[in-house]
Amino acid sequence: MFFLQTSDNTLGIPYVLILGTIGMFVMAITLVSVVVFHQRRVIKFNKQLQKMEEEKQQMLLKASIRFQEEERQRIAADLHDDAGPLLATARLYLNENLIHQEPAVQLQSIFSAKQIIDDSIQLIRNISHSLMPPTLKNFGLESAIKDLFEKINGSGVINASARFHDNRERLKEEQELLVFRVTQELVTNIIKHSHAGFIHLTQNVQGNFSYFRIHHDGKGILQSDFEKFNYDSVGLGLKNIESRIKVLRGSISFDIDSTNTYYKVTIEVPRETVK
Amino acid sequence: MISNVTAILSLIQYTALFSHLLPLVFFLLLKLHAKEKSLRVIFYYILYCIINESIGYYLHQIHADELFAFIFAFFTVAEFSFFCLFYNYVLPVSNPKKLIFPIWLSFIIFSIVDFFFLNKMEGFDSFTSGLQTIFIIGLCIYYLFVQIRGRNDLYIYSTSNFWIIITFLIYLSGTFFLYIMAETMIKSRVFKIQYVIINSIFNILKNMLLSIAMLMKSSQIKPELKKNYEWKDYNHAN
Repeated sequence: MFFLQTSDNTLGIPYVLILGTIGMFVMAITLVSVVVFHQRRVIKFNKQLQKMEEEKQQMLLKASIRFQEEERQRIAADLHDDAGPLLATARLYLNENLIHQEPAVQLQSIFSAKQIIDDSIQLIRNISHSLMPPTLKNFGLESAIKDLFEKINGSGVINASARFHDNRERLKEEQELLVFRVTQELVTNIIKHSHAGFIHLTQNVQGNFSYFRIHHDGKGILQSDFEKFNYDSVGLGLKNIESRIKVLRGSISFDIDSTNTYYKVTIEVPRETVK
Repeated sequence: MISNVTAILSLIQYTALFSHLLPLVFFLLLKLHAKEKSLRVIFYYILYCIINESIGYYLHQIHADELFAFIFAFFTVAEFSFFCLFYNYVLPVSNPKKLIFPIWLSFIIFSIVDFFFLNKMEGFDSFTSGLQTIFIIGLCIYYLFVQIRGRNDLYIYSTSNFWIIITFLIYLSGTFFLYIMAETMIKSRVFKIQYVIINSIFNILKNMLLSIAMLMKSSQIKPELKKNYEWKDYNHAN
């Protein structure tokens, strides 16, 4: 304040006033400009993130719809190509002329028709099982996965094993189905692409989460690859995995162990147990 | 020459006085039915400014200096009170918001003590004005900080509250040196001229910025439609 008072006496004109006013004004304008530009940048960045997220969601949605369509086409093809001809053949055996035939021929026709109908029943059962594995429905995830791994072992090409450490309480049916589908997709990918010699699945429970970890000794993918495939137009299977994990409200991570020998896929699922 | 200067100064002063009508008119035309209490506070603040300027001008003409000093001191307190009330409406509920009332009360008590006992009603009180300016600038900076920190998809400059805040920030930053020097230098003729020019310019600027604030849309952010990413259909389909 003393300096301000002396400036008038020494210079005649309070330059301090002019300079101070201009200085404060410039500072205020600078502050406002910084705030505005910073906020613009933040909003722009957030919008970009949001757009990317929306694109990803869109891609996942498209992938799931495509998957559903493929599944429907597969079922339609199975019914049309296998069940249709079988039932048509059975109908041929049981046509109106059958009553004019010899009893032996009639018996033979009925027997053949019966066999064809049995085949049709088996075929429809297979289609039904591929939609909802009965082991999963009746005995739970552990049995279903072990059943799946036994079938894989049967091929003799790859050794698959599973160990459930804590499966006293079953997950909800929808959760089990989703985890099973994700596991199925992952195992299919490992068999198709990784040339692995073994697959091992372990299950654990920590707090309110169930953890499923798949190890294999083939050539796997890492988290970065998974994210890259998720943004690509290819990799329908991985997008299905991602969308199922989203439905589960869980998470999935792909990595490799410290010795660079085994690839690991870890699925984290919030537990919703059957009451 | 002197008469020319006086005429120019009078013109600037009148322009500053009448510029108060600009935000007032915009408020009455555009925001009369607005539900925002913050804008109503600013409306009453502008009204008070007009009344204060008019009374001040009249008192200055009749040389009632003591009353003029009182009016001016009261304006500082009233301006701070209006700002605190406005600030109370615009700041989201937080711990610093709880400090507004104690700050306001402390300032009022200090102003009364300063006016009657320290300054003893002798002309302009720079200390109170300076303190008020520092408080308001601090609160404005805090508001801007809150706006930067918060996640908001609305551009800050598209809200009326932002323009009101920067009005106070720019106006008080510009007049800060003027007010803190006024107490000791008000008798200098050169200073008086500069006082009139700077004060009037910043008053005009203040009213222009407040007018822009009145033109801006409501500051309340409409909640966005929640996008359904729950994928329930997909869940059922499986």
